[in-house]
Amino acid sequence: MIHRPRHRHSIHCILPPYLARSIAQNGSDAQREKALRTLATDGTFRALRLAGSRTPPSSAVTRPRAMMVESARQRIIYDMGNSEAFPGTPVRFEGQPATDDIAATEAYDGLGATYDFFWEVFGRNSIDGDGMPLMAFVHYGKGYDNAFWDGKRMVFGDGDDDLFNRFTICMDVIGHELSHGVTEDEGPLWYFRQAGALNESLSDVFGSLVRQKVLGQTADKADWLIGKGLFTGNVEGEALRSMKSPGTAFDDDVLGKDPQPGHMRDYVRTWEDNGGVHINSGIPNRAFYLVASRLGGHAWERAGRIWYEALRDPRIKPDTNFLEFARITVMSATRLYGAGEEEDAVREGWEQVGIRVSRTGIRVPGLVGTVTQPSAEIGRAPSA
Amino acid sequence: MRIELKREGGPAYFPGLARPRSVDLERLPAEQAEALREGVRAARFFEQPPVVGATPRGAADTRRFTLTVEEEGRRHSVQLVEPVEEPRLHALLELVKQAAKALYRAHGGPGGSRGG
Repeated sequence: MIHRPRHRHSIHCILPPYLARSIAQNGSDAQREKALRTLATDGTFRALRLAGSRTPPSSAVTRPRAMMVESARQRIIYDMGNSEAFPGTPVRFEGQPATDDIAATEAYDGLGATYDFFWEVFGRNSIDGDGMPLMAFVHYGKGYDNAFWDGKRMVFGDGDDDLFNRFTICMDVIGHELSHGVTEDEGPLWYFRQAGALNESLSDVFGSLVRQKVLGQTADKADWLIGKGLFTGNVEGEALRSMKSPGTAFDDDVLGKDPQPGHMRDYVRTWEDNGGVHINSGIPNRAFYLVASRLGGHAWERAGRIWYEALRDPRIKPDTNFLEFARITVMSATRLYGAGEEEDAVREGWEQVGIRVSRTGIRVPGLVGTVTQPSAEIGRAPSA
Repeated sequence: MRIELKREGGPAYFPGLARPRSVDLERLPAEQAEALREGVRAARFFEQPPVVGATPRGAADTRRFTLTVEEEGRRHSVQLVEPVEEPRLHALLELVKQAAKALYRAHGGPGGSRGG
């Protein structure tokens, strides 16, 4: 069993109740509506986080959270000048006009879109929930064909022009990398096997939602591709991954064929790729797509909210597997929206990828007695 | 001398790029082969530990490359975790990547015209 030393975000990553109450009493109509909705939904989550915390709540409150400040984007773009020696040269700070460097502009805009997404949809102030400045490093290395999150900053190569274009070209890839920071802050989820595949999938989910929100797309209009436009014309493929149809994103004589499964019966057991983190992420990716599609409308409004609250659930452990995560998403849906359409959609989405969440009694950490909550098991449901 | 390059990590799993690439120096132009031999010597490759560098905590999508060098009956593997900060190891890795790509284009790659 994994014991976490403490949960850093037990009670203060969301709007503090006293502020919400103040807004509900004194704010404009729109502010009041949002605050009341926040108060209504946050109480349960707050209680659960307190129940799941390993430390007394009083010790967790070490600093005030700046949740009710105006949107506080703090972006810094560095030009690595095709070197790999950090820190490079800062070329654009928050509020400064664009330069003629397209990679720097795309990185700046992508960070902004991702910040705005987490702020406007989830009320999250940056990666750490506390206004952490967002740093992107462009033109990393020579012909460098990768983008990565190194634990504190986003790094983008220019691509090799043979297989890959510059990695800032896709807003969902920028959102993907930044979301790794959110997962690390909230989880973390180990970057290995199923927990790592969940880590990857969460980055794909939020990365895709960032792009869908910028484009104003509903679930049925979105392409659900990750990294569309990243390949050069030399590659037989349209993207890095397809959340809608895992395994169909590319089939190229150099890159090979997209290896992602979309159902547990095709789960890939491997030591490659950190135990298949970019491979088996196709399964939870498709589950999210199915949930969002069944619910319809903007995917970030309900499906995205359910996934985000699941990520923040104190029962997420570093080695959380697909089944445990599925169960937590069902519980999140129930807590957010009650028993109904949303819970059914989440349960069915997982079932269609071979993970069955059924209702049995389990214990909730820190609570006395046994409550009825969904549990998860491998199912053999037919693929959709 | 024979050098094998294996690539792991990155933004997605590409089966074609994950396959180890082998560089036989006998098949390279003399100048390039000598540059690689000198690169191995300069990097003191056979004295390097099995793993150089470490993935930072919380990092994702980073890459690592495993170089295996066989020469005169001895064999040694070193996993290089990006970013490779030691300049001579970095230079050797770049040389091997270029050679593997060129060989793949000329001989091994399907279609013979492209290579990662």
